Amino acid sequence: MPRVAIVRRELPMAMSALAKVFVILLGMLIAVALASTVTRTHIDIAFATLLQSLVNLNVFVYISTLLPIAVGLCIAFSANAWNLGAEGQLVMGAVGATFVALYTPLGSQEIVAPIVAIIFAALLGALWALPAALLKMFRGVNEALTALLMNFIAYYITNYLVKGPWRGRAVYGYPTTDMVPRQARIPMVPGYSFSWYVVAACIAIALLAYLFLYKTRLGAALRALGSSPRFVELIGVSSRRLYLIAFLLSGALAGFAGGVKLLVYHGKLVEGPIVGSGYGFTAIMLAWLGGLNPLLLIPASYYTAALYILSFGLQIGSAAIGDALANTIVGSLLTLVLLADFLTRYKLVLR
Amino acid sequence: MSKPFLQTVNLCKRFGDVIALSDVSLDVYPGEVLVVLGENGSGKSTLAKILYGLYFPDKGHIKVEGISTVFSSPMEAKRKGIFLVSQRPQLIDDMTILENVAMFLGEPPSRDLRKRLYALLNELGITIDIDRGVHTLSYTEKQFVDLAKVLMARPRLLIVDEAATYLPRELKRRFLNIVKGLRAKGGSVIYITHKIGEAIEMGDRFAVLRRGSVAGVFGLGVDASTLRQAMFGSEEYLTRIAKGFTQGAPQKPPALSIENLLVFDEYGKPAVNGVTLTVGAGEIVTIVGITGNGQKELGEAVVGLRRVSRGRVRLNGVDVTHMPACERVRRGLVYVPEDPFREGVAMGLTIAENMKLFSQTKVSRELLETVTRKLDVSPSNPLVAVAKLSGGNVQKVSLSRLLLTTPKAVVAYSPTRMLDEKSRVLALNMLQRLADAGSAVLLLSEDLEEALHVSTRVCVMVSGRIVRVFEGPDLEGYREVIERVMVHA
Repeated sequence: MPRVAIVRRELPMAMSALAKVFVILLGMLIAVALASTVTRTHIDIAFATLLQSLVNLNVFVYISTLLPIAVGLCIAFSANAWNLGAEGQLVMGAVGATFVALYTPLGSQEIVAPIVAIIFAALLGALWALPAALLKMFRGVNEALTALLMNFIAYYITNYLVKGPWRGRAVYGYPTTDMVPRQARIPMVPGYSFSWYVVAACIAIALLAYLFLYKTRLGAALRALGSSPRFVELIGVSSRRLYLIAFLLSGALAGFAGGVKLLVYHGKLVEGPIVGSGYGFTAIMLAWLGGLNPLLLIPASYYTAALYILSFGLQIGSAAIGDALANTIVGSLLTLVLLADFLTRYKLVLR
Repeated sequence: MSKPFLQTVNLCKRFGDVIALSDVSLDVYPGEVLVVLGENGSGKSTLAKILYGLYFPDKGHIKVEGISTVFSSPMEAKRKGIFLVSQRPQLIDDMTILENVAMFLGEPPSRDLRKRLYALLNELGITIDIDRGVHTLSYTEKQFVDLAKVLMARPRLLIVDEAATYLPRELKRRFLNIVKGLRAKGGSVIYITHKIGEAIEMGDRFAVLRRGSVAGVFGLGVDASTLRQAMFGSEEYLTRIAKGFTQGAPQKPPALSIENLLVFDEYGKPAVNGVTLTVGAGEIVTIVGITGNGQKELGEAVVGLRRVSRGRVRLNGVDVTHMPACERVRRGLVYVPEDPFREGVAMGLTIAENMKLFSQTKVSRELLETVTRKLDVSPSNPLVAVAKLSGGNVQKVSLSRLLLTTPKAVVAYSPTRMLDEKSRVLALNMLQRLADAGSAVLLLSEDLEEALHVSTRVCVMVSGRIVRVFEGPDLEGYREVIERVMVHA
């Protein structure tokens, strides 16, 4: 009987890159096949929808949220800071932005309002990441678990706010706040739910994060932290401080995404799970899809966004299935990427 | 002669763009020690890893007792009786020594196993508690535990990849005896080293690797210069360690002073117990001793990786006892750590990135090139990830910190470990030059030879204390005394 053995190998850079591209194309085909089966659409139509999704401007709606979170996670994961709490940090960011826009006098100031609201959102996101980081640093508590559990606290705080003290006066009992003032909102592209300012900011964030990680001493030290905290100490950089920086940056970027999502998309605070809608978790996959490289995250987030749109495009009317489908597609895609990663590093030998 | 136990046929292995082995064909016969000799990065470890099933060759195959095969995992190699001890001990940190050995052998950690393990350790002359967690062991301790682990499996072919090179002298002698015993019983040994003297002492036959190819195979009676020629080619290099001109200079203010230091190990037992020591600017003070007598803990406490329970550490008069390591490094204390792979470099980063990190200021491209050339790091492409380098070259990258900074004080733990003859001289000269330029150098060494060569003072450490200090122009004359003190104090 032939035996299968798994052996290590090392492919040249070009081959590995080619393998990635191949997987991405394959992923699209799988997405089309899956989507057409589940929604009982003819494969031609599904394929046409895919092509339309790729050129649909609505991709920027998803990119605006997913990209900054994934960039933050990319920084955190590079430093071995397993922040699984981006979802909660995103939700708290939205809470922060709402607070500034609705409950401070700044909320009615043109230009000042959105800027202050987003800064506050980022701060609140970072603050939400802080307990997990501190518990890890001073008590050795696994940060992945604490950060993960903080997500649910964020959900329920938001639910409490919109059902209790922050419930709007003009919302007929629905669990939302009032709309934030027009001055505090970020102008959208007519006919779409995204803003070019935000898209530009997100791409700038990705570029800056790349420069930080790959062109600065602190960034390189941060990437080294993943393999050895002692190495980092011995080059004269505090490993604790670096860990905290990585964790808080990722929290702040998730908070930023939440603030932006609120000011552009929702316009009012809604229940926690609706604000988050799993973007904080999808971004984890996205960070790995982009190989923890902020620059690669730009095409990776575009790709993920297109798959989201594909799922929704085929399923107008029942958003629940669209959401589940989108997650299924993105999930199987990640599996595929991991498989490809495995196959570029190992090969199967039949004997 | 009988049939070879193992043959390699045209083995080739490439890592990305780096060619590690090309067309290597060698035989090992039962009852012989085949020494594989080569400088850092010549492909020795790659060969060992292929024989042990850790790497899969791109081309070529292996024959075991005439039957062609290729191992795709160590499991298969082990089944044929082939075992490897490498320069990176293969132990699981979170388990005890006994558990590691039991798992390796695939049997429960029974009382019987415990008895057999103690018997072997006894034979090796090692006293160690086998219920200790592996994470508490020093690098050298891990090395001999790894060795004992493999010997427990009664190998038919034992591959020793630099693993014995840095053992304490007495332990090494016993280990070599065990190897010879293995040979007498018809077992084979592949002994990988870069030390020519050790090679001649050990080998029945000698295969020299150079840049991935076999540069020659020699029989018994070959002389050192022939081997050296085959290893390095005809290029000339410095074989002499420079003697510093500041040696024996009048008293200088101590740049590094350690007062009555008390440091505990992971079990709350004192590992360093009342050590007092000063190193003046321009001095090289070496601490020698059998591994596991507190050298590692002392080094770590001085640089701030380990808590000091009592006593003081001063750097240029400033009390740094309770500062974090990073703060001390910023103040000019440079540490060359014991384990280059885990602490000396960031394996995932490139050579250039590692080197840039060592300097607190911006490093110019010219300086980077100079340092790479000086240390003869191979491959010389600075954009290669350090994880792809051989052990010796990883250590060279770790040592580059000495060329990229101007330290007030240096603490170096076995800086020449894993280096070939040429690089070893270079490394010691680097320390000497730093001392000449006014750094205080504290060397923690397992190599008495080099300690005697470079030191202003030699301190012997036994059970966490400094028991004797030797000083003077002719330290070499104290060799016998020092060895005696190290063993029986």
